[in-house]
Formats: sequence, structure tokens, C-alpha cells
Amino acid sequence: MEIIHEILKYIGLAFILIGSIFLFLGALGIYRMPDLYNRLQAGTKASTLGAMSVILGVGLLQPFWLIKLIIIIIFIGFANPLSSHALARASYRAGIKPCCEKEIDFYGKAVEKQLKKIKKNYKT
Amino acid sequence: MLKKLIVFLLIGTLGYTLAVTFSSIPIGANRIGSLDNPETVAAYYLDKSPNDLKVANTITAVVVNFRGFDTLGEVSVLFLAATGLASILYRKEEEEEEEENKRHISHRLNLPSSSLVQTGAKILFPLILLLGIYVFIHGHLTPGGGFQGGAIIATGFLLMLVSYKGFKNNHKIMVWLESLAGLGFVGVGLYGLIRYGSFLQNTGWTGNLNDLVSGGLIPLIYIFVGIKVATELTNVLDILLNIKSRRK
Repeated sequence: MEIIHEILKYIGLAFILIGSIFLFLGALGIYRMPDLYNRLQAGTKASTLGAMSVILGVGLLQPFWLIKLIIIIIFIGFANPLSSHALARASYRAGIKPCCEKEIDFYGKAVEKQLKKIKKNYKT
Repeated sequence: MLKKLIVFLLIGTLGYTLAVTFSSIPIGANRIGSLDNPETVAAYYLDKSPNDLKVANTITAVVVNFRGFDTLGEVSVLFLAATGLASILYRKEEEEEEEENKRHISHRLNLPSSSLVQTGAKILFPLILLLGIYVFIHGHLTPGGGFQGGAIIATGFLLMLVSYKGFKNNHKIMVWLESLAGLGFVGVGLYGLIRYGSFLQNTGWTGNLNDLVSGGLIPLIYIFVGIKVATELTNVLDILLNIKSRRK
């Protein structure tokens, strides 16, 4: 029993280390990336994985909390991408342009189409 | 000249009073005393709330029991704030509806939110409500309480209001819930007044420390506070979001 606890402890510490590295990379990405969308992506992806990993590590260190922490992990995995998606979409609609020239912009076309449809409906 | 003199006099008096008050406070001294021999009110609370009231969270004991009357005032302040907001921001006169509608529609932000957000909101909404209810039911055991739980529930409603354009709160139910919660709070107070001779007096029965049903009337009061705060904040959000489209 003792040995299992010891092994779990080291695995948990490794998870916490990996998670903190990812969190650091996410912060670095927010600092270094050129525009809002890249920053959002860096922040979300890295911090989701980092936070999940840190929480899982804590759960392995304290097996008594593991179930609660797994629920928290599920919520982070669920809510974090969703909120960043909403943020990115709202900022695109608000007219924030991406930094670099882009050749493919499906969403911009879709927005224009939607707007035209609504205007047409309004006129009739 | 006289005005300036009066101002200087006032400032001087204020400064003197503050200096005298603060110089009499011994900084760094132990003013709590020990738990066995309480010298200040803090030690009294720390001693009394787990031992006599059986409430694990001392802050809740202070907020709801020792100064429960003040909490009742806070809740009514919140109610007054919501009412004031509604009465100030509510626009009665009809404006050029056409113009405004056009302006809204031409705006890119006025498009409906994406189906991803809508689905996610639908899944998260009941869970947020559950968390809020958990927080205010466990107000006497864990950090948090009626105000915090109510705010969490209101964020759930905010999520729904933001992601669904057609989401409408049932105002009648909200108003009824709010009034009933306020009435419940006052009713608990009156119960104490009639039964034990003082407003908001706690019952003699308190249960065991760290039980869900313990602390006498404290959980009940916090449940009422939670419902009241949740409905009030939701109404505030509703008013703020519907300001442009509201007409008589």
C-alpha cells in the first residue's frame, strides 16, 4: 500500500510539472503572439491542458479528492474551448482583423451571407 | 475668505479627531485575548459559533445570527437598487422604432450566437444552478453563502440570456419567488420575536457541528437570502439586457 502511494505521488508530481510547463508556454504565447486570435488560441489550448494536468496531479497526490477533481477537469475541458470560441467569434464580428493576410476566410463569407439574409427578411 | 476658513477649520477638526482616535489604538497588540478568556467580540464569536450555535463557518454565524438584522437591511438595499435601476433605465417614450431596428440589424454583433455556444449553455445552465444551490445550502458549513450562491445562479441566467436571444424569464414567478423569500426572512425573524422574545432569535435546537441540518435557523435564513439575491440579480440583468427593446 505504501509503495503504491509513493508511486502515485511521483506520477502526480510529474503531472504537475508538465502542467506548469504548459501553463508557462501559454503565458509566453499570450505575450509573444501577434494578434488576438493567435493569442486566444495559445492561451486556451495551453492553459486548458496545463490546468487539467495540474489538477490531475493534485488528484494523484491526494486520492481522496480524485473524483471531485476529475469532475473539475471535465468542466474545464468543456467550458474553456467553448468560451474561447465565443470570444473569438464575437471579436471577429466586432471587426477585429487578423494580423496577417489571409487567403481563406470561410467565416467572413458566412457572416456576410447571414447579414444579407437578415436584412432581406427585415425589408419584406 | 470665510468659506476657506470654514473649510480649513473642518479639515483641522477632522484631522485632529482621526489622529486622536488612531493614536489610542495599540498597533500589533493582542486584542483578541484567548478563547477561554475572551476580551473582545472576535474571541466571543470564535468561541460561541462552533460551541453553542454548532455552525462551522464563523462568518456565516456572524452575518446571519449575530447581526442578522443588518443582513435583512442588506437584502432590502439590493432590492431597492434593482428597483432604482429599473425605474431610471426604463424608457417610456416611443422612439423611432424603425431607425433603431435598422441600426441594430446592420450591426454585426446582433447576429444570433453560434449553435456551439447555445448547446454548451443548455448543458451548463442546470449545472450552474445546481452549484449555486449547493453553495447557499452549505452556507453554514463551507465558505460562501446566500449572497455568493445567488450571484452564481444569476450568472447561469446571464449565460442563457446572452446565448439565446429569445430567452425570457418568467417575471411573475421571479417576482413571486423574490417576495416569498423576503417574507420568509421576515417570518423567521418574527418567529424568533414571538417564541423567544427577540427579532431573529435563533432556536434552542442546533444539531451537531458539521451536519447539513444544524445551526438552528441559520441555513433556513441563508436559503431565503440565496433565493432573493438570485432573483434580484437576474431581474437586474434582464433589465440591463432589454433596455433597448423595451417599450410600452
